[in-house]
Amino acid sequence: MSKDFEQQLRDALRPVDPEEGFEQRVMARVAREPAGLRSKIKRWTATLAIAASLAFVAILGAYQWQERREQQGLEARRQLLEALRVTGEKLDVAYQAVNRESPPPTDDGSGA
Amino acid sequence: MNALFKHSIAILCGAFLLCASAATFAANGQLKLPNFDSLTDKASESVTITLDAALLGMATRFLDASDPEDAAAIEAIKGIKGIYVRKYTFDDDFAYPKSDVDMVRKQLSAPGWQQLVQVKSRKEQQNVEIYILVEQERANGLAIIASQPREFTIVNIVGSIDMRKLHELEGQFGIPKLELEQKKQ
Repeated sequence: MSKDFEQQLRDALRPVDPEEGFEQRVMARVAREPAGLRSKIKRWTATLAIAASLAFVAILGAYQWQERREQQGLEARRQLLEALRVTGEKLDVAYQAVNRESPPPTDDGSGA
Repeated sequence: MNALFKHSIAILCGAFLLCASAATFAANGQLKLPNFDSLTDKASESVTITLDAALLGMATRFLDASDPEDAAAIEAIKGIKGIYVRKYTFDDDFAYPKSDVDMVRKQLSAPGWQQLVQVKSRKEQQNVEIYILVEQERANGLAIIASQPREFTIVNIVGSIDMRKLHELEGQFGIPKLELEQKKQ
């Protein structure tokens, strides 16, 4: 009984050669693992770089848009003041002419 | 005969559409200003201002209410939807085509437009005409045609106009105050 058991144990624990290519597979896997991690890091870095570039472009675009809008606004303001100046100047010519023609103002003080 | 009839109809429709569009412009208070591009090269000085409602709104945002000149401008343009100015100064007499000025003047004969003032100064050879577009007893448009031998100006203001506020522009933008002028005389 004990001899059988011993034999069984010996059979079970006998040294067995690994399958062919086992070593290469193990070595390949060991080599592959850090590369995968590296590629993951690379992928994340690239994504972050693209995101940062996009954010930079967006901020730059917004800044330029704001700058252009401010220039347009200042130009519109300049044009408005110029337009009012020209309008006032021509109205003034008419007012002066009308006032020259009309009799002096009465006591109620109503002017042109 | 049929083709001639079709052509006539097409021409009539075109003319009607042209008149209708001009009338629409005039009814809004906005005049159809001629293209004065050719004059820009001839003129010694030119001012071309086209401010529609959007640009006026933009300009208003850049005005400083604490500045007296800007505050006067803010008050003056309340209710105004557009300002269009064409002003040309020349080195020679009557270098500008009178027909263009007449074309603008013609639009002011449309219903609603009334001539407010006409000033003809023989001495200074200056002619200033002021027209307003009256709709429902309100001035909804203003047109000024001012001509001198070496200068002509067309101003068209669209929208609800308060003439009193425009008059208050005197003393602003370098325009002399009328009372001061009268005292000098």
